[in-house]
Amino acid sequence: MTTNIDNIPSSEIYDVIIVGSGITGGWAAKEFCEKGLKTLMVERGRPVEHRKDYIGEGVKTWQQPYRGKVAQNLVETQHHVQQQCYAFNDSTKHFFNNDQDYPYSTSEGTKFSWIRGNQLGGKSLLWHRQSYRWSDLDFEANSKDGFGTEWPIRYKDLEPWYDYVETHVGISGSKEGIPQLPDSQFIEAFEFNSVEKRIKENLEKIYDDRKLIMGRCAHLTKPAEHHVKQGRGPCMARNECQKGCSFGAYFSTQSSTLPAAQKTDNLTVATNSIVHSVIYDEKSKRATGVRVIDCETMATREYYGKIVFLCASTLGTTQIMLNSVSKTFPNGIANSSGVLGHYLTDHCYNAGATADIPGFEDEYYSGRRPTSLYIPRFQNILDKNPKFLRGYAFSGEAYREPWWEFNNKPGFGVDFKNNIKQGGGWKFRVHASGEMLPRYENSVKLHATKKDKWGIPQLHFNCGYSENEKSMMEHAAQSAAEMFKALGFKNIHAYTKDDPMGLVIHEMGTARMGLDPETSVLNGNNQCHDVANLFVTDGACMASSAWQNPSLTYMALTARACDFAVKELKAGRL
Amino acid sequence: MMKTKSDSQQQVPSQADLSRRSLVKGLALMFGGLLPASSLALAAQGYQGQADTLNRAGHLLSAKQLTLLKRLVDLIIPATDTPSAGALDVHGFIDNQLKHCFDKNSQNLFIAGLDKLERICRQMNGQAFSEVNTDAQVALLVAAEAGGKPCNVDDKAFFYQLKTLTLLGYYTSEVGATEELSYLAIPGGYRGDVPFAQVGKAWSLN
Repeated sequence: MTTNIDNIPSSEIYDVIIVGSGITGGWAAKEFCEKGLKTLMVERGRPVEHRKDYIGEGVKTWQQPYRGKVAQNLVETQHHVQQQCYAFNDSTKHFFNNDQDYPYSTSEGTKFSWIRGNQLGGKSLLWHRQSYRWSDLDFEANSKDGFGTEWPIRYKDLEPWYDYVETHVGISGSKEGIPQLPDSQFIEAFEFNSVEKRIKENLEKIYDDRKLIMGRCAHLTKPAEHHVKQGRGPCMARNECQKGCSFGAYFSTQSSTLPAAQKTDNLTVATNSIVHSVIYDEKSKRATGVRVIDCETMATREYYGKIVFLCASTLGTTQIMLNSVSKTFPNGIANSSGVLGHYLTDHCYNAGATADIPGFEDEYYSGRRPTSLYIPRFQNILDKNPKFLRGYAFSGEAYREPWWEFNNKPGFGVDFKNNIKQGGGWKFRVHASGEMLPRYENSVKLHATKKDKWGIPQLHFNCGYSENEKSMMEHAAQSAAEMFKALGFKNIHAYTKDDPMGLVIHEMGTARMGLDPETSVLNGNNQCHDVANLFVTDGACMASSAWQNPSLTYMALTARACDFAVKELKAGRL
Repeated sequence: MMKTKSDSQQQVPSQADLSRRSLVKGLALMFGGLLPASSLALAAQGYQGQADTLNRAGHLLSAKQLTLLKRLVDLIIPATDTPSAGALDVHGFIDNQLKHCFDKNSQNLFIAGLDKLERICRQMNGQAFSEVNTDAQVALLVAAEAGGKPCNVDDKAFFYQLKTLTLLGYYTSEVGATEELSYLAIPGGYRGDVPFAQVGKAWSLN
C-alpha cells in the first residue's frame, strides 16, 4: 500500500489529497476512499506497519536495556522536548519525533512543549483514547461570554456524525443522561473496582451536581462483528497502549481507518513526504495541490488534487498554511482574516489531589484498566462562579499503592519488603481537565530567519495560560480537597502546578471556524472561507477547546466535512 | 512474543477466568505469530545480572563502592523466601543505570553519597561499613533516611535516590516482578472485584 514515492506520476490529478495520517487524516482517507474518490495520503514521517513495527510491544521490563528508562544521551541529543510527555519511555520513544530535526522557538519568558509523532498513524498510535461528546454548553460558550468567535455549528449538526464515527471506532462507556456530556453509541464500559463503587455511591449521595462515571474510551471491551471484521480484537487490559497494540483493541489509524481505506483500492500513501506548502492558483482561486520535500533525499515534487484536506495536526497544518504564500495570500493561504496562527489553546491539567482511603485490605483487582474514572464538569452550568469562566472535569481512580510508590514510605528491610508484597494501601487521585479561553495573543507565526533542515521556516510560539485558567486550577484543587474530606479520605494532598502549554497535547484553534470570513479561517463545514476546495479538519479548526478530550469531536467533524466535500464535488462546486 | 508463562496465567483461578484464559490463548495463537521479531533484538540488550560483582569495578563505581552498594541494597531488600536485592545484582544494575540514564551531576551526587556514608561509619565506629554489625549498619541507614544525626539532608536525598533505584532494580527484574510479586503479561481483561487472597501477592504492574 505504501507506494514508492518515485513511482507516483506527478502528472496524476487525485480527487483528493490528504495531508497527515493521524486520527483525522485516517478518517478522511477512509471516508473518501469508501465514497469512491481517488485519494492520496501524504505523511511526512516513516511508514509504520500494524503489529510488525510495534517494536516495544511485549518486551518485558527485565528485557529492556534500562528497565523502561531512556538513555540519557539519547534524551539529551534527540528527545529533550518529547521526554516531557507522560507516555515517552523506552518502549514508545520511536513513535515520538526527533527534536533535533524539528526545532521551534518561543518568545522570551514563555514556554511551549510541542509533543509530536511524525510517522504513519501520527499521534493516533500514542493518544490517550479518552472519547467524549461535546454539548451546546460548549458550542455556545464563545457567544455567551465573548471569548473567541461564535461557533457556526451546534450539537445537532454533529450528533449524527458522533453516532457514525462511534459505531465504527467502538467507544466503551455507560449511558448516563448527563446534559453537558451527551451519551455516545456505547459498547460495554470497563468495570469499577469495589472501592471505586463505594466512592461513587457516597459521592453521588453527598453532591447532587456531580457524578462519578467510568471514563469513556476508544477500546474494544466487547467488539461487535463489524469491529472483528476490521481485524480488531478485545482489549486485554495491558494498559501499554502507546507501544502499539497487535490486538487492535484501541482505535488508531493502523488498527481501523487505514485498513478500511486500503480495502477500496482507492488509496495511495506517500510517506517520508514533507508538505512544504499548498499550491494556490490565482486564476481559478483554488488549491491545486501540494509541494513536497522528500524527508530522506531532500528532493522536491508536487502532487495535484481537486480537493486538499489538511489533517497534519493543529500546528503542522498551521505551519503549512502560513508557509503557503502567494500574491493573493502574502500572509498564508486562506488568511485574509489575519487570524491564522492565533487563538491557540491547549487544555489545562495543572491541579489535582491525592489521598489515602482507609481499609479494604482484602480487596483487589485484576488487569490494568486503560481508562480512569471521570467526574464531568459541574461548575458554571446553572450557577456562575465569580472567579472563572467555563469549567473543568476530573479524571481519577482508586488503586493500591504499587511498589514504585514505596520510595516515599519510610523504612526498609524484611517488613518493608513484605508490606510491598501484601499490596499497599488504597489511594485515590484525581486531576483536573480545564478549558482554556481562546485568546488572540496566544499565537504561532513563522520565524523570520530560522529554518529546519528541509529549509521550512520554524514555528515561533508566543503563548501561555491566563488568569482564568489559573483561578480555575485553584478552584479545582480546593474542590478536590473538599470532596476528599467529605468522602472520609485521609492524608489529603491537593496541589496546583505550573506545567507549560503543550503537555496536554490538545493544542487547537489556530485556523478557527466562524461565521464571519473577516474573523475566521473556516466555515461550519471546515472549508476555508477564502479557498473553497481547501479544508482543515484537525484541531486547528476549533473555535474553542471545551473541557473534554477533543479527538472524538475531530473525528466527527472530519467525517462530516468529507460528506460535505463529496456532495459539493458531485454538484460541480469544487 | 505474545506467549506468556502458562503458570502465570493461573493466579486468579475462577470459572470466569478459565474462559478468559482460553480466550487469551486463542488470541495469542491468532496474533502471536504476527508480533514484531525486532522485539527479540531489543530484549537481547537488557541489563543482565552478573553472578558476582565483588572485587570488580563497575561502569561508574569502583569495586569497593560496588561492594558497599551491594550491602546497602541487601539491607533495603533482604532475602525472604525470594532472593535479596544483592543476590539479583541490583547493585550492578544501579551502576549500569547511573552510567547510562543519569547526568554527570546526579552521578557525582550518588558517588559522593556512597563515600560519605562510608566516612560517617568510620567516624562513628572506627570501622568500615562492611565491618560493623548489622545493627550498626541499620542504625546508620535509619539516620540517613531521616536526615538526622550523624546524617543530614544530603544523606537523606542520597538514601531516597538509593531506595528508588533499589526498588526499580528489584521489582523490574524477572524474579522481583514474577516471583516476589504477581505478574500477568496479558491479563485478558479488567476485573474490579477480585479478593486480594485470590491474587495472593501485589501486582508488579498496577
